[in-house]
Amino acid sequence: MTSNVWAVARKEFDDAGRSRLLWALVGLLVLVAAVGYAALWYADEPVTASEALAFLGVPLQVLLPIAALVVGYMAVVGERRSGSIKLLLGLPPTRTDVVLGKLLGRLAVVGVAVGLAFVVALVLGAILFGEAPVFDWLAFGAITLLFGAVFVAVAVGVSAAVSTRGRAMALVVGCYVAIVAFWELLTAGPYYLLYGHGPPVQAAPWYLVLEQFNPVLAYTTLTNLVLENDLVPLQFQYGLESIEAAGMTPAERYPGDAPVYLQEWFASVALLIWLVVPVAIGYYRFTRADL
Amino acid sequence: MAAIETAGLTKRYGDVTAVDALELTVEEGEVFGFLGPNGAGKSTTIDLLLDFVRPTAGSATVLGYDAQADAQAVSRRVGVLPEGFDVYPRLTGRRHVEFAIETTDADDEPDEILERVGLEPDARDRPAGEYSTGMRQRLATGIALVGDPDLLLMDEPASGLDPHGISDLQTLVREEADAGTTVFFSSHILEHVEAVCDRVGVLVDGRLVAVDTIAGLRASVGAGATMELTLDRPADRADDVVAALDDVTDVTTSGRTLECVVTDPRAKALVVTQLEDAGVTVRDLRVEDASLESLYTTLTDEQAADAAAEALEDGSGSDANPEREPEAVG
Repeated sequence: MTSNVWAVARKEFDDAGRSRLLWALVGLLVLVAAVGYAALWYADEPVTASEALAFLGVPLQVLLPIAALVVGYMAVVGERRSGSIKLLLGLPPTRTDVVLGKLLGRLAVVGVAVGLAFVVALVLGAILFGEAPVFDWLAFGAITLLFGAVFVAVAVGVSAAVSTRGRAMALVVGCYVAIVAFWELLTAGPYYLLYGHGPPVQAAPWYLVLEQFNPVLAYTTLTNLVLENDLVPLQFQYGLESIEAAGMTPAERYPGDAPVYLQEWFASVALLIWLVVPVAIGYYRFTRADL
Repeated sequence: MAAIETAGLTKRYGDVTAVDALELTVEEGEVFGFLGPNGAGKSTTIDLLLDFVRPTAGSATVLGYDAQADAQAVSRRVGVLPEGFDVYPRLTGRRHVEFAIETTDADDEPDEILERVGLEPDARDRPAGEYSTGMRQRLATGIALVGDPDLLLMDEPASGLDPHGISDLQTLVREEADAGTTVFFSSHILEHVEAVCDRVGVLVDGRLVAVDTIAGLRASVGAGATMELTLDRPADRADDVVAALDDVTDVTTSGRTLECVVTDPRAKALVVTQLEDAGVTVRDLRVEDASLESLYTTLTDEQAADAAAEALEDGSGSDANPEREPEAVG
């Protein structure tokens, strides 16, 4: 790794800072925060600022992955298609510098959007609910950043791995659909075939590990751990899994003391693994590709 | 040490051989023209030198560094003007050059670089997406010059430039060459190569069919200059005088015009003096040097003839499918 990673990352950020995409993204997330807070305040329910913050996790579960995938999926393949990668790699930056720099630059873009949305949430929380829960705010902000970073990493990894825009788009859409829409089919489906029934609350450990590694579930698990709230993961339900299991963390479903890898805090490790593996695969393919 | 040296460099894409066992040496300090029609494999060769694509077989060194293993050392010392590149549409021309300076660890001034390549001051702080093709080409040339490279690799640098831009480019190439930079310059347009290059390599269908000076190439192919003389009388009364000379061939006449091909430059003066000695007055004289174009066509035809001969030898295989429509064969 050289200082050229930072040079590429700064160029990326400069470039993105001039793109309408970033500002549309910032606008969307800020709008979601503002509208959510206004709606809660208007409903006149007895809500604390901390609860309002957790409520923000509902739209973010859906929107942040989409936004992050959109920000990242053209990162590398876009330059391959346009030909600007020849200008870039004709200079000293290596393919390693390019992938890591792209990842950092695009992470910064999503970071700015999430950061601004959270500033709005903090200010509105103070104005509407008379509280500024700074610790909760920082912790939830960090978890949300990690969650967004996972999808940026998936998108950049895909972008580095493929040679056409169409394939990149198909793969990121596929990833999103697999995680949000088909997760239960992909995990509880095989479970059903193996055991003749869907996963009960106390499902087999391998199934709970898979649940632990669902990024959306990991996000709600971590959020609930820190905010002591009941943020429910938004996923398509197919009725394969026991209804009682909905909203339970893998640790709660494990009979007795959960092993380390099923404990709630371990969801952060699951997200970190998601952050690294797709980029590593994309990097591996990109360094071996004919451009 | 050679600036560029390839040994059996080969790149295949499936059944297509883009570069075929290339043996090429470019000496330090020379301006080397890399000539060939579109699709001959020029860009693939340059992509191989820059580690943009990996060889199927063979190897290449650039400034003594292995093009694959030491790709980073290569890119630090080489200025690249790629073909089919694009700029970052939202970044200004100046930001592009600043990025090049930063990554090359150079101490160039962006304005000096942009001045050299003739990018106007009012354009430098505009997004490069608004630039014309010629301006993009100038910007990319500027990026290639950052860090005073030892070798300039220019892939079709004249494409998209107007005549003025091409003249600027040729001046720049000469300046760089005078400063000791090796220049490797690919083109499918012969005049561009002819104007600046010391030596020329001709690539046809991925194979190097000739490497020589432009004069040497002409001599080896035997293409001479064509003389067209206007005489004071019908030319068919004088043609035997000219035809009798050594190094003069293909004498034809038409009215008062006599045309002949001279294979040795010194024969030109002889043609005129012999005619005058015979009492014929030469009213006008035009000499047309064999263009690289015709030379290039000759080389390509030779290559095609060789290929056709090979195809004939292998011909038995295709007879298995005699029903095939002619269009399908191509």
